[in-house]
Amino acid sequence: MRTYILRRLLQIVPTVLMITLVVFVMMRSVPGDPVVVLLGDAYTEENAVKVREEYALDKPVLVQYGIWLGKLVRGDWGASILSGRPVLSDVLVRLPVTLELIVLSMGIALLIAVPAAIIGALRQNTWADYTATTAAMIGVSIPEFFVGILLLLVFSFSLHGFLPSSGWMYLPGTCPSMVCGVSVWGNLQHVLMPAVALGVGRAAILTRLLRASMLEVIRSEYVTTARAKGLSERPVVFKHALKNALIPTVTVMGLQVGFLIGGAIVVETLFAMPGLGTFGIDAIIARDYQQVQGFALITALAFVVINLIVDLTYTFLDPRIRYA
Amino acid sequence: MAGAGGPVRMKQRPISGGSLSAVELPVGAVRAVPLARPASPLTEALRRLRRSATALVGLGIVAALIGVATFADVLAPRSPTASDQAHTFARPSWDYPLGTDQLGRDMLSRLIHGSRISLAVGVSSVLLALFVGVPLGLVAGYSGGRVDTTVMRLMDLILAFPIYLLAIILMVIFTPTAGLIGTMKVTGAIAIVRIPIYARLVRGSVLSIKEKEYIEACRALGVRTPSILLGHILPNCLAPIIVTTTLGIATSIIVEATLSFLGLGTQPPTPSWGWDLKANVAFIQTYPWLSLFPGLAIFVTVLGFNLFGDGLRDALDPRLK
Repeated sequence: MRTYILRRLLQIVPTVLMITLVVFVMMRSVPGDPVVVLLGDAYTEENAVKVREEYALDKPVLVQYGIWLGKLVRGDWGASILSGRPVLSDVLVRLPVTLELIVLSMGIALLIAVPAAIIGALRQNTWADYTATTAAMIGVSIPEFFVGILLLLVFSFSLHGFLPSSGWMYLPGTCPSMVCGVSVWGNLQHVLMPAVALGVGRAAILTRLLRASMLEVIRSEYVTTARAKGLSERPVVFKHALKNALIPTVTVMGLQVGFLIGGAIVVETLFAMPGLGTFGIDAIIARDYQQVQGFALITALAFVVINLIVDLTYTFLDPRIRYA
Repeated sequence: MAGAGGPVRMKQRPISGGSLSAVELPVGAVRAVPLARPASPLTEALRRLRRSATALVGLGIVAALIGVATFADVLAPRSPTASDQAHTFARPSWDYPLGTDQLGRDMLSRLIHGSRISLAVGVSSVLLALFVGVPLGLVAGYSGGRVDTTVMRLMDLILAFPIYLLAIILMVIFTPTAGLIGTMKVTGAIAIVRIPIYARLVRGSVLSIKEKEYIEACRALGVRTPSILLGHILPNCLAPIIVTTTLGIATSIIVEATLSFLGLGTQPPTPSWGWDLKANVAFIQTYPWLSLFPGLAIFVTVLGFNLFGDGLRDALDPRLK
């Protein structure tokens, strides 16, 4: 098991290198020059040459990538071309915000999906099942930003600012500067609507999947055996059926990470949250190469690590699955 | 329950009630039924599709949308781009059924014309991905070896990206513009992201089908490889391709709307639902309907394709029910 984890951790390196290299090359082929944006009115040929030299923008693309990598292994993620701030410190400030959003939205998704799927599967073709499947159908068809807009309309505007429509309150200990709001309650108020907006779609996908695999598992012989030997319904469902039904669901949850990152970008933009999503989209649109690289790096890392966690979850759900 | 005093032939009725089945019918009646030729899988699928309420509702929504998009010029009461400074932010009324936006443009007309972008991008991006991805999967799966490795590593490279990150960067590279060219750029970006889905799907099916005896028979008879691929293998992996395509249109429409919402879709003045949402969110507190209607339009469209895709899956592959 330990060697397996070690091997998988080593495999992270080529994947992350590949993703960051492709992003690097792609961003360099974007039309437009960040130096022009950076210098603005102060733009002269002379200044531009100086800035290009400073950020090594005058070198061939692969050399630039090499320079970026060389700095990276020494822990230097470079500095944003537009703000001048070190990328790593910005990433570290914004990471907890996005992490909180994603973890909470996944929690909400599971909290909705697991009971809905179990009820749907155990009471197949009853009104409870139809309600669950219809709600799930609506959930997969509604884009995150529209859920967010509906929530805004109800909880921020109709209920007179019951929940804040934008901005952020930091959790104690994560505040990046001296001048930010810090409060647990305030943080919860700010994160609730974005997390629900992001979680609803996920909940719907999970409900559909989990219901389908529960239906399959519940008809299998070992569940009949468990019932036949006199177990009550609760351990049959939770101990025997649910764990096995969760395996395909966990796979799909891993695959959903790509959508979660996109969802985070949209939801953070809608609610003006200082997370990694807004960090990334701002950088991409402004062609801030260094910041985009930082975003690509942290996204690639998250992507690979979450997939590793997914694979490790299998061993917990089904002890027959062993990695050597 | 059939008592002892009942007619003799009723004695065949099983003790447990249940539905009327062949066992319950008089023996003579069963013999009288002529042996019908077994229906083809396609006829069977169509019959199941016609009986599926979800599929029919979905098909209805999709058909209505295609009608709206096709006849947008006739259906729209006004021009979707003509601004009327005298009637900005008009509330929904008889003149402007869904109100007007900050430039005084008729919301209903914008929604009607916006359906074109959503449908065009949704359908054509998926078809483009299909026409590239399916041949790649066929060739990779059938030839195996180095070709397979090369193609699939390339596909894995695309799949290694979180899809939105790739689509967003591609749109920045293509630089979003208005009109037909702008729509084609969005289509291309979404198609690239979706190619590996088809390649993987088809390759998987091909790997199992190519080992079947009838393919071996084809090869023994000297059938050329292209004919084997197109005439014998492809038809056998059509069902998952069709289902993936229908459900894929739904996903593509959401991706298109999301890109537009981030300002990276088809640019104004071309009317697009995602862009209208983005533009009107700023006024959501005072004019909520301006954001609600485009959002509802996206939702109903995606719902239509999802319902139809679900019904289609149940009809084509009853085991997945």
